Amino acid sequence: MSNSKIPVAVIGSGNIGIDLCERLLRDPDFNLVALVGRRSTSPGLARLRSKIPHVLAGGVEEFLTISDQVEGIFDATSAFAHQSHWSQLSPLGKWMVDLTPSRIGQPLVPVLIGKSDSMKIDGTNGAGNYSMVTCGGQSSAPLLYAIASHSKGIKEVEISSSIASLSAGPATRLNVDQYIESTEELASIVTGCQNVKAILVLNPADPPVMMRTTVTIEADYFDLDSIAVETKRIVMDVQKSVPGYEVVVAPYKTTRNRVVATALVRGAGYYLPEYAGNLDIINAAAVETARRHVSALEANIVGSRL
Amino acid sequence: MTSLYDVTLRDGNHALRHQLTSQFVRDYCRTADGSGVMAIEVGHGNGLGASSFLVGKSAETDESLITAARESLQETKLSVHVIPGFATIKRDIAPAVALGVDIFRIATHVTEATIAQKHIEYLVAKDVTVHGVLMMSHMIDIAGLIEQASLMTQYGATAIILMDSAGHFQPKEVSHRVRSLRDTIGVEVGFHAHNNLGMAVANAMEAVSSGAGIVDGAAMGLGAGSGNAQLECVLASYERDHVSHSSLDQFLTMSKLVESTFPRQLPRTNASSVESGEAGVFSGYAPQVAEISSELGLNTKELWVELGKRGLVPGQESMIREIAQDLMNL
Repeated sequence: MSNSKIPVAVIGSGNIGIDLCERLLRDPDFNLVALVGRRSTSPGLARLRSKIPHVLAGGVEEFLTISDQVEGIFDATSAFAHQSHWSQLSPLGKWMVDLTPSRIGQPLVPVLIGKSDSMKIDGTNGAGNYSMVTCGGQSSAPLLYAIASHSKGIKEVEISSSIASLSAGPATRLNVDQYIESTEELASIVTGCQNVKAILVLNPADPPVMMRTTVTIEADYFDLDSIAVETKRIVMDVQKSVPGYEVVVAPYKTTRNRVVATALVRGAGYYLPEYAGNLDIINAAAVETARRHVSALEANIVGSRL
Repeated sequence: MTSLYDVTLRDGNHALRHQLTSQFVRDYCRTADGSGVMAIEVGHGNGLGASSFLVGKSAETDESLITAARESLQETKLSVHVIPGFATIKRDIAPAVALGVDIFRIATHVTEATIAQKHIEYLVAKDVTVHGVLMMSHMIDIAGLIEQASLMTQYGATAIILMDSAGHFQPKEVSHRVRSLRDTIGVEVGFHAHNNLGMAVANAMEAVSSGAGIVDGAAMGLGAGSGNAQLECVLASYERDHVSHSSLDQFLTMSKLVESTFPRQLPRTNASSVESGEAGVFSGYAPQVAEISSELGLNTKELWVELGKRGLVPGQESMIREIAQDLMNL
């Protein structure tokens, strides 16, 4: 990565947007130029007014007046809002990272870039739209990859996640079906299996529970030793950007032809509490995706100069 | 007038480890049609779209079970149970509407009614009857219960069913809840008992005398854990003090059909069910608790108590092993 910081904007002043801003402000690779909200009374905007050059309450319309100051945009609003944001902003030719389950952009799990055929960043396209899918998708994909890449004849794949009720905001609650469909789509991409099922459970226990995601793959054959090695390796990769990601039940074979594993995600606590690991993993993935995208662009430019 | 609602072919599917066949659905529905039950609920134990590695795979698809019931019911209504998070509108609910299901029960954990908004509104727009179900209803106070039930009625549910999913309640707790809801939410209140502490029929009858418009039961009590209120016993008790339009003889024929078909799967109240009822844990976890405790050599009571402490809700089967391993310091 070059020495200059990447100038970016965040749209959305809800919990996820604010946590993302806190993360970007502390990241040496990024220069957070703008935070875009819709309400001047938003507590998120107030919190960050002194730390970010442009804290805007006039929505994307106002952002368009200063958009030439940024190279890329993170959208932390809702799946519904992202549709109109993308149609308004795509003519600018900037990259976008979508933290909603809108299913508009290319689904991406940063830790799988270069490992899985579908997980690529095109260094010649400066204006990609990358979808972070869902928390269930980001937390299950590493395990699905580790198991699927050392098994043969995959018949069926299942992902079940439980999250703390307090960490599920109104948009998530209204869109449980969308969550399920996006998570299933990603699982199909990672495993190559079309027979997939995702399940989401909200748990209101007090103190709040940490997010857990369990994956199950049914297949004709598993190389369990390689799965164990691959899981350790990929979990270490995930932990570089999500330190609270750990495997609490290592992949094991049940009496039937199934391998099961469970991961726990503890949030890093930038702005959101520790139990919001589900939001943390999405934000970490978004920042990592942006970093990888910009590196790929730079590598491409350097390559073409040679 | 209280209507009896028959969950034998849905909650009973937990007792059958979800191996219910369309052949039995046909036999049972033909026997029960016109018996006076308001509806017969059919499907996987956790409802539409819940056949899974997590909870258990169904022997047959939702479609084939619903079709078998639809073909066999003339007078009695056909219903299904739906838990958002397992089932989606597109994959599960829309096809069930097309197959002719009369009543949809949309169920959430008792504190999470908001996740059912889209599903209830979709069905209301399709002009289908919708009941809102609050599962694990012992895990909230009365004010919270009223708030959650009101959300479901605002979305369009025309009845609210309280599930004692852990079989935890004593009659006075049932009475308090049913009366509080009946006096505040303006729609019919239903009650769904489990027999962990041997109180299912007594609790169902307490709901009747507290003004519940709907009471759930199952033939032979066939249901998750130690089973549901035994339907034929509820009717016999009901007829002591009320005029009913149901046929006890027909209920007893339904009961005998279940008893003779599933002699080894009939639920009963045993040590493990008392432990789970006391701990306030979902009855549907009984098979996993039995399996994992015996595999790891763990006392079932210790495991039930820990599951209760962790506040597990339905759909968290995969955590049972992790919690058991924690207890064993594995």
